[in-house]
Amino acid sequence: MKGTWMHWVKGIVTVRARGGELESFVNQALQGGLELWSIRRTSEGQLEFETTIGHFFRLRPYLKRTGCRIHVTDRNGLPFWGLKVRRRIFFGVGLLLFFVGLYLLSSLVWNVQVNGNIRISDEQILKAAEAEGIHQLQWSFKLDDPAVLSKRIAARLPDASWVGVEKKGTSIVINIVESTKPDQGPLLSPRHLIATDDAVITEIQADTGRPVVKRNMRVKKGDILISGWLGDETNMQTVVAKGKVRGIVWHEYDIVSPLTEKVKVYTGLSTTKWHVVAGGRALQVSGFGKTPYSEYEVVQREEQLTWHGIKLPFGRMKESVLEVRLDERTLTKEEAVTKGIQQAKADLMTKAGSDAVIVAEKLLHEKTDNGKVYLKVLLEVEQSIVTEMPIVSTQGE
Amino acid sequence: MRRMNRRLQKWTANLLELPQDVVYDLPRLTMIGDRQLYIENHRGVLHFSSDRLRLALSKGELEVTGEDLVIRTIWTEEVFIEGVIKHIEVR
Repeated sequence: MKGTWMHWVKGIVTVRARGGELESFVNQALQGGLELWSIRRTSEGQLEFETTIGHFFRLRPYLKRTGCRIHVTDRNGLPFWGLKVRRRIFFGVGLLLFFVGLYLLSSLVWNVQVNGNIRISDEQILKAAEAEGIHQLQWSFKLDDPAVLSKRIAARLPDASWVGVEKKGTSIVINIVESTKPDQGPLLSPRHLIATDDAVITEIQADTGRPVVKRNMRVKKGDILISGWLGDETNMQTVVAKGKVRGIVWHEYDIVSPLTEKVKVYTGLSTTKWHVVAGGRALQVSGFGKTPYSEYEVVQREEQLTWHGIKLPFGRMKESVLEVRLDERTLTKEEAVTKGIQQAKADLMTKAGSDAVIVAEKLLHEKTDNGKVYLKVLLEVEQSIVTEMPIVSTQGE
Repeated sequence: MRRMNRRLQKWTANLLELPQDVVYDLPRLTMIGDRQLYIENHRGVLHFSSDRLRLALSKGELEVTGEDLVIRTIWTEEVFIEGVIKHIEVR
């Protein structure tokens, strides 16, 4: 057994012994429980062996008994190192300081990184992290467990749905997953919904706000239908009233409908102009000269050359010039009335909205005078009757 | 009485197939090639030089001859020798 590390810690002494009875010295020392190893004879007949420092000092009685003399040739191990270091104190202190410094500098947080944020600003996250003690030049042993830290930071950032804190050597990486938020609608100021016309309610649906009217109730123009005020006088809250209110509205129309009608008629006369078309440009090739008609219509027809189903950028264009004549036609009274009512309905639909339904129509008055029919029509329409009225704070804040 | 005892010992050893070194206090030698020798149950060093080692046994002695002999480790009953071992003799 060569000196093990335990021997090295205790300190190994290499001893040379001479004279006397060397063999019996070895035997007695072993009997006494001393530990000797690597025993060898040198060329001069001396005995060389190794032992620990403690055992070295216990050799003396056996030496006396056997008449041997010893001297130490080599020293090895930790205690002797210690002596050496004590001699070079500044070197030892430097060595120690180096390791202490290395440990301390590597246990500092040198760098805080933030990943994965889009809407939340870096400053906001770093501020939350700072509140939990994560900042530059912080001792990393002062910080809590990353799992605990990430939970606490997540609690400080309501817009983040997940926060992960990761320690990578001397840097801390904060990973953020932002919560997705629905798009916010445009901001609306508190309002009531009021009636656009005098009407009888047929349907009311309040999404927000308090419905004030009921079905089959009569309302006047400007009456509140859905109120933006919630609660009583003491605890009042204003909201943006939303909803759908439909009602039956009466519209009165004065219509003047002529008994004659102008009609376009083709006379049958026409001329033709031919064009050659190449790449979007047309070149007239025939039918030159002034158009001989005072009233006419032009009809164009284009033909493109194709080859095996592929359209080529060449073709021809036929331009027909057709003569027209304006004739006047006399209408019967019934025809004039229907036409007038039709015009009124079309006008009404543009005003009342596309979802309006005409429930009933009533001809109140009819008069024929100067080649015209004068009508008075009452139309009963079911339509949306809401319009917005902003709530102005009356409490004078 | 002593003879009887020894006979009994021998008989039990044979019966139980015990190793002889345990029963008779004999040395046990383990040798690895010609370079290492491990001797158990010796009774002390009688002579030691680089070419000769004599060990006392419970009965008689053991002589090892060779070159560059070194006692690697020694305990009261065991010894571990290194070197070039040429000859072992039990007397």
